[in-house]
Amino acid sequence: MLLTLLSNYKTIKDAVLFAIDVSPSMLQRPPESDDRKAERDSPTSAALKCAYQLMQQRIISNPNDMMGILLFGTEKTDLKDGDNTFAHCYLLSDLDVPSAHDVKQLRSLVENDEEAAELLQPADEPASIATVLFCANQIFTTKAPNFSSRRLFLVTDNDNPTKTKQDKDTAITRARDLYDLGCTIDLFPISKPDHGFDRTRFYDDLVYPSSPSDPDAPVSMPSTTKIAKSGDGISLLQQLISSINSKATPRRALFSLPFEIAPDLKIGVKGFIMIKRQEHVKSCYVWVGGEKVQIVTSSTSHLADDTARVVEKVELRKAYKFGGDTITFTPEEFVQIRQCFGDPVIRIVGFKSISLLPIWANTGKATFIYPSESDYVGSTRVFSALQQTLIKTKKMAVAWFIARRNAAPVITAIIPGEERYDENGEQVMPPGLWLIPLPFADDIRQCPEHPDKDIKATDQLTDMMRKVIEQLQLPKGIYDPAKYPNPDLQWFYRILQAMALEEEVPEFSTSDDKTLPKYRQINKRAAEYVIELEEAFDAEHKRQVRGQLQSSASSSVKPKKRAMPSEADDVKPVKLLKRIKTEQQSQATVDGQGVTDEDMAGLNDRGLISKQSVAALKDFLKARKQPVAGKKIELIERVQEYLEAKGL
Amino acid sequence: MATKEATVYILDLGRSMGEKRNGRSQTNLEWALEYVWDKIMTTVATGRKTAMMGVVGYRTDETDVGALIEESDGYSNITILSLLKQFLLVDIRDLHVKLRPSSTDDGDVLSALAVAIQMIDTTTTGKTGNKLKFDRKINIISDGYGFMDTADLDAIAEKLKEDEVELNILQVLGVDFDDPEFGFKEEDKDPEKEQNESVLKDFAEKCNGNFATLAEAISQLEIPRTKNTRPVPSYKGTLTLGNTDIYHATLTIDIERYPCTMIAKPPTASQFVVRTDLSGAAGASTQSSATIPGEDHRADGQLAAVKSQRVYQIEDTDHPGMKTNVEMEDLERGFEYGRTAVHISESDANVVKLETHPCLELIGFVQDEKFERFLPMSRTNYIIGQKTNTSAILALSVFVHALYEAGCYALARLVTKENKAPILVLLVPRIEPNLECLIDVELPFAEDIRHYKFPPLDKKLTISGKIIAEHRDLPTPDLMSAMSRYVHDMDISEYARGDDDEPSEYMKFEDTYSPLLHRINHIIRWRATNPTSSELPPPPQILTKYSAPPPDLLDAAQDTISQLKAAASVKKVPPKQKGRGKRTLRDREKPLSGLDVDALLGNPKRVKIDSANLIPTFKQALAATDDLSAIQAAADDMGANIRSLIRNSVGESGYGRALEAMRVMREEITELEEPDIWNGFVRALKGELLGGKLGGDRREMWWKVRGSRYGLVDRKRCFASEVSEEEAAEFYKA
Repeated sequence: MLLTLLSNYKTIKDAVLFAIDVSPSMLQRPPESDDRKAERDSPTSAALKCAYQLMQQRIISNPNDMMGILLFGTEKTDLKDGDNTFAHCYLLSDLDVPSAHDVKQLRSLVENDEEAAELLQPADEPASIATVLFCANQIFTTKAPNFSSRRLFLVTDNDNPTKTKQDKDTAITRARDLYDLGCTIDLFPISKPDHGFDRTRFYDDLVYPSSPSDPDAPVSMPSTTKIAKSGDGISLLQQLISSINSKATPRRALFSLPFEIAPDLKIGVKGFIMIKRQEHVKSCYVWVGGEKVQIVTSSTSHLADDTARVVEKVELRKAYKFGGDTITFTPEEFVQIRQCFGDPVIRIVGFKSISLLPIWANTGKATFIYPSESDYVGSTRVFSALQQTLIKTKKMAVAWFIARRNAAPVITAIIPGEERYDENGEQVMPPGLWLIPLPFADDIRQCPEHPDKDIKATDQLTDMMRKVIEQLQLPKGIYDPAKYPNPDLQWFYRILQAMALEEEVPEFSTSDDKTLPKYRQINKRAAEYVIELEEAFDAEHKRQVRGQLQSSASSSVKPKKRAMPSEADDVKPVKLLKRIKTEQQSQATVDGQGVTDEDMAGLNDRGLISKQSVAALKDFLKARKQPVAGKKIELIERVQEYLEAKGL
Repeated sequence: MATKEATVYILDLGRSMGEKRNGRSQTNLEWALEYVWDKIMTTVATGRKTAMMGVVGYRTDETDVGALIEESDGYSNITILSLLKQFLLVDIRDLHVKLRPSSTDDGDVLSALAVAIQMIDTTTTGKTGNKLKFDRKINIISDGYGFMDTADLDAIAEKLKEDEVELNILQVLGVDFDDPEFGFKEEDKDPEKEQNESVLKDFAEKCNGNFATLAEAISQLEIPRTKNTRPVPSYKGTLTLGNTDIYHATLTIDIERYPCTMIAKPPTASQFVVRTDLSGAAGASTQSSATIPGEDHRADGQLAAVKSQRVYQIEDTDHPGMKTNVEMEDLERGFEYGRTAVHISESDANVVKLETHPCLELIGFVQDEKFERFLPMSRTNYIIGQKTNTSAILALSVFVHALYEAGCYALARLVTKENKAPILVLLVPRIEPNLECLIDVELPFAEDIRHYKFPPLDKKLTISGKIIAEHRDLPTPDLMSAMSRYVHDMDISEYARGDDDEPSEYMKFEDTYSPLLHRINHIIRWRATNPTSSELPPPPQILTKYSAPPPDLLDAAQDTISQLKAAASVKKVPPKQKGRGKRTLRDREKPLSGLDVDALLGNPKRVKIDSANLIPTFKQALAATDDLSAIQAAADDMGANIRSLIRNSVGESGYGRALEAMRVMREEITELEEPDIWNGFVRALKGELLGGKLGGDRREMWWKVRGSRYGLVDRKRCFASEVSEEEAAEFYKA
């Protein structure tokens, strides 16, 4: 394990080269049809649309990763470097981090039929697949020499592109070269209307079962990449997008660790990040001193504060500040301090009922683990037995977890994840176990206490609220993340893309934000129950508050008319606005943050007024146009005077 | 939380404190100081200026009550070791030397107490004679010997109670005082001590103080202290259902949101550099740093703070692979869209922002039992009704109870501040005896989920899609039942015992302490008092208690565990087979069809290295032979290619390819266990790079080789190497 760690000092980046077949059959459009769902794209154009979408998506999700598009079988030969060795290969966009220009060019090809027709001229003779593979080899070698993941996405409908055995052998050799170079071939086959795609005829000799860049990764399932075909209800484009999306990001193990199920019973597992907040790029410096705006890279050097001498990294020492001074340790001692809890491991301490894992105890995102046979033979079956047992017994394991050398030890819950499929039989949730970090005593904060403990829900109100809740269940009663794209992220890239392509900036419409509640539906479904609840609530609230005021002359309290938004007045004559919101007695508390006179009087009667913060007192006074200057005691006096004047 | 504190420690430094009692290997004083130091260090570690401490010793050889009390009559053998102030490291080191047992038994604890009271009085009284807001505390640590003049006892107790108001807590901690509650009783107690003990105990009661034996206090030191943080709301606003602008039947509750879980981070170390000018300007610079009080990074004599300097560069368009430095004034803010720079001027900065308003809006409800527990991705918060707002408190209570009874969670959209990005949160009801609130936790958006696929665990599929029920990757019925028994036997849901011996949960959140946080705090405190000791102490046991299953439980489950191990029959993969020649062409990975590609090519004996197809041909050349000279030849070819990549590189353009070639060569040669071939090459290359022999200044390439750790292969990496780890490490130094 240590060896693989040491040898993995490659750039953790991904390069994807699309190779799209341009042949008469790939260019053939489906027959015209009136059906709205009918196929419109030729396979080549579906593949280009797919590439276009992937390119935009990768700019968001993998801003440092490369992508390129190579067409093969075209009349034209052009690799953008004046070299014409690779006949009928046309490099549409070079393998690089995509630029605005690449996006624009690809889009116009996808949207402009004439332009497409001119470029997408098939050659009389199909391109030799060996040439394509060697061309990809050269592109990867020069453009992405030390990327940890390099993948060739091959889109074709020709399951047997070679005619002679010699051609086939050359192709097989070239495929092996790619494998030895550390590149993976991902095949996205398309079946022809009259003829299915048979991998065994040719491509099974070219595609390797494991990825050379990450041989330890669980064996990928190339054979399960579906063969896309048109006329199946789902369009070819949709099928392609779905297959390609599942490969959009190369799977990368976060860690590879021994999983100690019991003393002397270790198996191997790998950890994967399946859930992670996708943020947009941070703003950076750009250089505006020339004709073209350019990206600026920065490097940091260290200077000693006393002499302004440039300091090498090896000279830096770390020290803790303590009592106005520094406490130092040698680098060896630092290592000792951090590593005194032992080697990286996931060690089960015991099992508990899953009910002992409340949501309030969450501290961060979960990590997915899956067995690996590379260090311990038999890992998969033991892992499987544990996963199945936990599902059956509704239990979780509690474990001591050190993810890496130098990582802080944490206690983690291990819960089973069940495999789930969507209606098309695609896996949507893989089977495995999830590590959920648990809080230590140090991580749990106290909830600020309420001065009012006597105010409590009643069964009547609870039941009424329950009706509202039952009316507003989400589909299937589940949260489906796929339905909620991040509105901020999407908006950011729409604007940025428009600016990068020097186009008009779009206007925002509420349909761009899928997280906005569906107000109309809420109103339609729940309005009557809400109104019912509102009335009962007001009565109950009055009862409970009065009960607390007891002796004070509270019986005379009458809630005053609440200030209504004027435009609402115009619409409806009856004011049914729900009043759980503060019963505002003063116009000044329009922001809904105010404390009512009654509440304050209640606090005063119970001797809690002095427990209020100065800010709260000031807010109260300010809302009632009273002076807010002076010490706390003066503020309290003023509040009391005010309340007295009101007869409270 | 952060109230001002004035704490005085009264330490018994009498001769008897130098004795060892009750079979301890430490003297009484050493033992007592364990407690005192821990207390002091914990306070110092907070770095608070308002946490003041003072130390008074009694039964000391000398008398020094300073200017605090004018007549020293009646205060003999009492020494003020430190006045009330914020303690710094220097004070600790000063004090450390002073705390030694004296050679006298004279000195009255009550006089020392009077001195302590006076100290607190002086410091915590305002200019006008008013009492300032302080937590006043006096801790007495004594072994109970020595004479006490009890005449003023009541007066002192009165003073403590009345004048200091109830803020004053007096902790009398006795070395070997009897404490029936803690179950400690000293046999054959000296009558004088017995007398003193009862006097002090009465006294403590009179002024509402505590009286405890030191053993108890020390036993509690083991339990790490958690820091209390004042709750700061992260959102104060409304929780709404429906659009209040358009519709009338809407719900609005005024709420406040406070942190519920928050990872406590260990202190971080700052970077310093060892001073180089110790001889010359040292005097001046230490003086200057000493005269700037509270300066952020004051370092001790040997370390100087580090500043960082940034250099900005752009790619030179005329010379690909080269970089030009640019001036700060030509830089503006922008974003990267792919590799295109998008300039967004200061005034336009908001255009990429989604316009939002603070809100917490309900979207809908989900069923709790269908909720996937691995989805929440953040720490959690409490949501409570607005304080003092009775209708908000009632409304929230209704909402919480209704969610709970309906078995539902709510999905809501949260914006905490104007124009902040909206997030989706799950609202979960939490009802406990003294707590009724909602808990919120962030949920992932569509973009936050990665769709990696993994094969099923409960069945095996063949390439053709057939399901196989029995396979070495699938558990046997034996393994399943053994696992099931194991999970049952190792259940710790009710393994612990509560106060009344009723079963309770083992390893509750409250019982676990952040190991690294407390380890670092512990070691900093330790180093502060042991600056010269070289051997670091092990981490306190309580921090590792939950790193393994409870031993009793393991013993009880021994049989189950053996059965599980037998049924699992897991085998560790042995380290790579030793010896060259084991790895040949024949073992190489085959394509899906299983075709033997080499056989197809007629199993060539020699493969020529092709610079246009460098890495594949190198790998194939090595695989084709196990003849040492052929390997050497292939490596030489590879080396020549690497050199030419560097020599022909314009700027850094060829470095990436050269590095990748080096990585492959190093890895393959190491695997063939011929590290000398690589080591010879890389030694020569280093010289050529630094000597400018590969077409100009190639030092940047050397930094990259160093950064990638493509240096010598040492003995640890490959047993056949003659290079030691130290030598390999030395190689990276220029």
